[in-house]
Amino acid sequence: MLKVYMGGLENEIYNPDMYFNNQYEDKWITDELAKAMIADVDKSVVISSHVIDSPVLGAITPKELSGGVKTLMLLAFDTSGNIFNGSACGDNCAKWILKLAEDKDITITLHHGMRFGAGPFEIEILNNGKIVRNRHEWLENIYNFI
Amino acid sequence: MKGQYRVTIFNKRLRFEFDIRRNITVVRGDSATGKTTLIGMLSNYEQNGVASGITVNCAKKCVVLDSIRWQVNLQSISDSIVFIDEGEKFIGSDEFAAAVGASDNYFVLITRHNLPNLPYSVQEIYGIRISQKYAGFKQIYNEFYPLYEADKQEYGSDSAVMVIEDSKSGFEFFEAVYGKKYQCVSAQGKSNVYRLLLACSEKACIVVADGAAFGAEIERIYHLMEDGRKIYLFLPESFEWLLLKAHFSENNAVAKVLEAPENYIDSKAYISWERFFTDFLIKQTAGTYWQYSKQHINPVYLHEKNLPKMVNAIQNYGRKSEKEMQDS
Repeated sequence: MLKVYMGGLENEIYNPDMYFNNQYEDKWITDELAKAMIADVDKSVVISSHVIDSPVLGAITPKELSGGVKTLMLLAFDTSGNIFNGSACGDNCAKWILKLAEDKDITITLHHGMRFGAGPFEIEILNNGKIVRNRHEWLENIYNFI
Repeated sequence: MKGQYRVTIFNKRLRFEFDIRRNITVVRGDSATGKTTLIGMLSNYEQNGVASGITVNCAKKCVVLDSIRWQVNLQSISDSIVFIDEGEKFIGSDEFAAAVGASDNYFVLITRHNLPNLPYSVQEIYGIRISQKYAGFKQIYNEFYPLYEADKQEYGSDSAVMVIEDSKSGFEFFEAVYGKKYQCVSAQGKSNVYRLLLACSEKACIVVADGAAFGAEIERIYHLMEDGRKIYLFLPESFEWLLLKAHFSENNAVAKVLEAPENYIDSKAYISWERFFTDFLIKQTAGTYWQYSKQHINPVYLHEKNLPKMVNAIQNYGRKSEKEMQDS
């Protein structure tokens, strides 16, 4: 399940982009899930663990991927137990966050009202312990805290 | 700092081009639209100049500010456009908000935070998109586009609730003019508007607020609208701006200011345009029978002879002039 803390936490990784650059592993990049996320969010094609073909930037390394897709990969593959700032992700990453949380518990902080769509989904708001299942319930709960 | 500035940043592959005209501009939107790339190019240029292979054209110096000793570094930056990327946590702090208020720089903030402690305009929140203007060129041309457009809207049915940000003269005016048609409620400040909208979910709502300082609220209100709520937005620069437009725009000096406020509003003296327009109206009307006070509406503005001008200004707000239509 996706668990969200609205607002900042002292121990959150606020800048997942930087954290990814120093912690990612080559095998993450060539994982089929990562390839799909990179194709969808960054519109780019993974050539190898070191090279990605971006339609805008040309041949890039994983460090030049967007902050959003780097955060998604951290949520998918990082095993440190750290809590990442989900607001490094744009709304075009929201469906992937929900998908990743289908298979395991994921905890993130959010500093903005991310758009997860109309629902149905299942998100626990850690600030008040409520579980919300659609956009209406999401909106009734999140903006009290940010 | 005053004025509007075109910023052009390009290398062989990418080009960013946009105008900055207020002290606070916010850039947000989807991932992978080029926000961090823009900051990276500016940073490379700042460190290496033309040797970076990047060109930056702007009448003002463009500077990237990061979290390392940001307070000390900001003190040494003056009369510049300061860019801050989204990974910088200090952007949401009270210390940063105070520093913006005391600064003569313009700030471009790349962030999805609502930044409730900064009074920024709904008109200065942008996304980045690939422009169709130069489609087909080898260089990919990126431009800013407004995320929240204040188009002319029809304002709902007679049973609507009019939620007015102001509690004093602005509220008194709207209640006097529209109180028979709509149920008028004062939000007693912008941060309460969302709460009131949540509470009256059964009815259509018209939000009347000062657009020049309402940026922090707009995201969550748009989110409610996406959820199917009937919400109509009336967000002129400010109530005082409307009064100036309605009653004093025949005065050449006032007309010039209203036409291009950025050329007259010093960002260090006024953290938001809303505050400038209040001061400007007070000075403009001091000692006359139009004398304006923020505490209570001067009955002159509600007199039947004067009211049509203001109602006209409200009804025409958001409609493009013939010249603007031709320009667009």
